[in-house]
Amino acid sequence: MWTTKVPDGSAKVDLDEGEAILKLENLSTVFDAFTVPNSFNTGHPLGFVGGVIDSLRIHWHGPSTTEAAPPLGASFSGTFKLTSANIELEIRTPATKPPFTPTPQDGFEFVADPTTTVTAFAQIGHERNGSLK
Amino acid sequence: MMADHADWIQFARRLSRRGFIQGGIGAAAGAGAALGTGLWTPVFADDETRRSSGVPLPIPHRTFIPFGPDSVATVGVHFYFPGTVDGQASPTDPFGPHTEGRDPSTVTNFDGFIGQVDAKFNGTGRNTRTGATAPYSFHTDTRFMSGEFIASDEHRHRGTLAFI
Repeated sequence: MWTTKVPDGSAKVDLDEGEAILKLENLSTVFDAFTVPNSFNTGHPLGFVGGVIDSLRIHWHGPSTTEAAPPLGASFSGTFKLTSANIELEIRTPATKPPFTPTPQDGFEFVADPTTTVTAFAQIGHERNGSLK
Repeated sequence: MMADHADWIQFARRLSRRGFIQGGIGAAAGAGAALGTGLWTPVFADDETRRSSGVPLPIPHRTFIPFGPDSVATVGVHFYFPGTVDGQASPTDPFGPHTEGRDPSTVTNFDGFIGQVDAKFNGTGRNTRTGATAPYSFHTDTRFMSGEFIASDEHRHRGTLAFI
């Protein structure tokens, strides 16, 4: 439900160099439901609100390491590289009130400090899956 | 195998305005969870000769997340947690190893480039009514898929999708 189409050209990849960039601006289709449990609860007890990603820029970069291939029999194939990444992000959610939320909620903005990014896992690759494997 | 609830919340990528209003530091935060039971996408009109109602289809694999009886997670969400494609155990995947591998794409019948990042970072949150600010931590699993895919209309489409 949160895989969404974004403008062509939003992602650029140089797999040989182990580098990629995803750049999004003014993406207002994100469904912000306050918490993950609330998002997964079909009753959404905390309410609904549409969040906006004002800007998001993720830079995947080296040093990169080529990964072991997917197992034989996997539903996908391809070439993948482990990388590091940095994230720049500015997002906001509007103020809301009933009936969209049980109680009035103030608006919120968040601006990330990209220098604090700690990458737990990052990869880029080229893959084929399903009927296009 | 499953992290405790607090860890799940920490994994959550939602900005908690409630926590912000309470002046919380290091609250669970994020630009967006991306764990669809299906895929929310607008109608594609990328074929010059016809309009299409096709939408990308999710990978068959489902991850069952314990978010309660009313949760869509009880029927499974179509994604793998981050980790290497060979399916070996990964600290970022609480569901352990996957002998079938770990497809980073959330879209099936796909041929193209992917990028995936699981990262934590810090920043500043601001209450837009009061102007009050507080430091926040943020944890996100963000991905993109850019290339061709066969959608629900059984036709090929080209485009870029983001898992945010």
